[in-house]
Amino acid sequence: MSDFRGMRLAAMRAKIAAIESGGRTDVGVLPFGDLGMDGRLPGGGLPLGRWHEITGAGLEAETSAAPAAFAALAAAPLARKGEAVWVMRRDDLWAPGLAGLGFPSERLIQVCARDEAETLSVMEDALATVGVTAVFGEVEAVGLTAGRRLQLACEKRGATGFVIKRRPFGGTAKTEAAGSVSATRWRIASAPSEPPAGEFGLGAPRFRVALERCRGGRSGEWILEADRAYSWEAGDVAHPLRLVADLGDRELAPAQPAVRRAA
Amino acid sequence: MRQVRRLSAVSPEAAKLGLYVGQKATDAMALVPELTTAEAEPDADALALTALVDWCVRFSPAVAADRPDGLFLDISGVAHLWGGEAELMADFRDRLAGAGLPFRLAIADTPGAAWALAHFGRDGTIARPNGQAELIQSLPPAALRLDPEAAAQIERLGLRRLGQLMEIPRAPLGRRFGARTLERLDQALGRSPEALAFRRPPTPWVARLAFFEPISAPEDMERVTQDVAAKLCARLEAESHGGRRFEIAFHRVDGKALTLAVGLSLAGRDARRIARLFQPKLETVDPGFGIESVTLAAYAVEPVGGRQTRIDAGLDAAVEDGLAPLVDRLANRLGPCAVWRAVPAESHVPELAVEREPAILHRAAERGGGGPRNAVEGAWGAPETKARPWDREAPRPVRLFRRPEPLEQVVALLPDDPPVQFRWRGRLHRVQRAEGPERIGEEWWKADIGDVSVDHVRDYYRVEDAEGGRFWLFRAGLYSGEAGPKWWLHGLFA
Repeated sequence: MSDFRGMRLAAMRAKIAAIESGGRTDVGVLPFGDLGMDGRLPGGGLPLGRWHEITGAGLEAETSAAPAAFAALAAAPLARKGEAVWVMRRDDLWAPGLAGLGFPSERLIQVCARDEAETLSVMEDALATVGVTAVFGEVEAVGLTAGRRLQLACEKRGATGFVIKRRPFGGTAKTEAAGSVSATRWRIASAPSEPPAGEFGLGAPRFRVALERCRGGRSGEWILEADRAYSWEAGDVAHPLRLVADLGDRELAPAQPAVRRAA
Repeated sequence: MRQVRRLSAVSPEAAKLGLYVGQKATDAMALVPELTTAEAEPDADALALTALVDWCVRFSPAVAADRPDGLFLDISGVAHLWGGEAELMADFRDRLAGAGLPFRLAIADTPGAAWALAHFGRDGTIARPNGQAELIQSLPPAALRLDPEAAAQIERLGLRRLGQLMEIPRAPLGRRFGARTLERLDQALGRSPEALAFRRPPTPWVARLAFFEPISAPEDMERVTQDVAAKLCARLEAESHGGRRFEIAFHRVDGKALTLAVGLSLAGRDARRIARLFQPKLETVDPGFGIESVTLAAYAVEPVGGRQTRIDAGLDAAVEDGLAPLVDRLANRLGPCAVWRAVPAESHVPELAVEREPAILHRAAERGGGGPRNAVEGAWGAPETKARPWDREAPRPVRLFRRPEPLEQVVALLPDDPPVQFRWRGRLHRVQRAEGPERIGEEWWKADIGDVSVDHVRDYYRVEDAEGGRFWLFRAGLYSGEAGPKWWLHGLFA
């Protein structure tokens, strides 16, 4: 019974997705490799040819280490297929760290823009370029028009955008635009690592990942681990992120307060 | 030597009164009591000559300054644009006269002959090909661009015309008057080549557009940029070449030339692309009363293979198609330092371990036929001095601060223990897990031995606080004395 209902729902979702996509061909998805997590995302993985919003909390809104690392990890399989461009205003991104996480840093072109508008326009330019598969941009806020423009640029070549929300030089936060055209919105925080029993030091980096908004999918919250980070096989896995724990469906359990406290 | 004020230049009126260059100022004042003099300004003169050289680029790309007061224009192959050498000279004459400059012109096969004719011959002489010998025969020896003493010496011996000098057999001439005289004579007659120091490297890759009416509207300037680029690129295309640097010059009615330059990371000849690179910069050009001609020159021109046609325009595209234009657009807009690829450098000091390399290296273009992916890898992967890649197993932060940030209230139980707590940006962090120390010393072999100190040692720890934040902090120096060592935060892990 329930299966039948699920099938109808899936068919309806596909129809809506087809209407939303406006007839353009689907570029595909990038599965995380966990059924529970991919099931929440439309099409069974991170939608490609769209742009995604990645935010941090607390001080991470300024330093943006965990969001940047998550974006790099999520896009690492993409970057191996083409070139990646990282647009920023504060050039404190450090390539050896990305290489340690398994991101092909030799495929990364870094661009330092002077202001917010320039960052967005460089992102747009890069997204529409042949051969570029992933574009990262560190931006404070994306307005509706800018978001739509990014989306159109993504659709041109099927490149995927990652907007990392960041106030690189501190200051007060801008008021957020009411809506957004991003495909997904993630909130990333570091989570305490757990080294294997009997070992000293730190374990593999873990992230508390909340999918806050997702077009055609459902939100959720998980703890992910980059289990091969800082090892010799860091860049050689299909997807560098591994699911450790499902923190529940936030839609089904709204009563649970968000107790995230970021570092 | 006594300080004597001499005339360095005289006006035509003064020359009529019998004043001459080199005369003592006091003598001149005695002759012409109402004489007006102004201090000579050689530096300003040189600057004005440089400006004039820049202006002359409208006639020929190869212009050399002949200090202190001359110009050489290499007009080989450009005279036909005016309809002939005489027409070119007439146009030149009109424009110079319009600018109010006194001048003398001559055209000859060699710079030496042209100089001699301009300085000592009839103004406006045009020597026919290989005809300079007979024209300079009647000129005095000073026309050979010799220093005054040498010229005076020749005249003192009764050789008042170059024709007489030419009749003397070479060997005695060289012996008597020096190799310099012989060389100058040969240069004037075209028997030995002469290298001129052109203001800018001469490039045969120049396109020029002149307008009937001066233009000034921004959209017109955009259009002529496209037109002149198309003109030059058609030639580059026809000869299978491409340029890596392009310079456009807008020649204004008032004689100023405004130049803009763009660079490409790979040699190219796509007119639309080049025009688009100029486009954002065009608004900085002030057209003044109008622009009457525009020239575009290509530099660093090299052979470029035929246009690549790809059937499988997939994700794996060639560098020339997508990435190179993107990098060019960004580098020309944001500056060449704002677009880079991080490559390993041979150093264990964190801030020195990364080097910035142009996003697309020139080498990529030279590797033909290796396929697009190979071309990219060739670009960054095989430099002559290849540094080892970064060690993936050594945990390194994603964000590295340019200046390490100071930490306060750091408590470490034992001298080599990681801290158990620290305060950063006003927040206290309690360390739950820690790794370290990883001792990183300075590069003592590069520093002066006296500057090497144990205080420059850094002990790095990787710590994680209760909430999962991971930090890369270090203790500067060792424990010694009462004041403990300072702690710094250098980077953030994911």
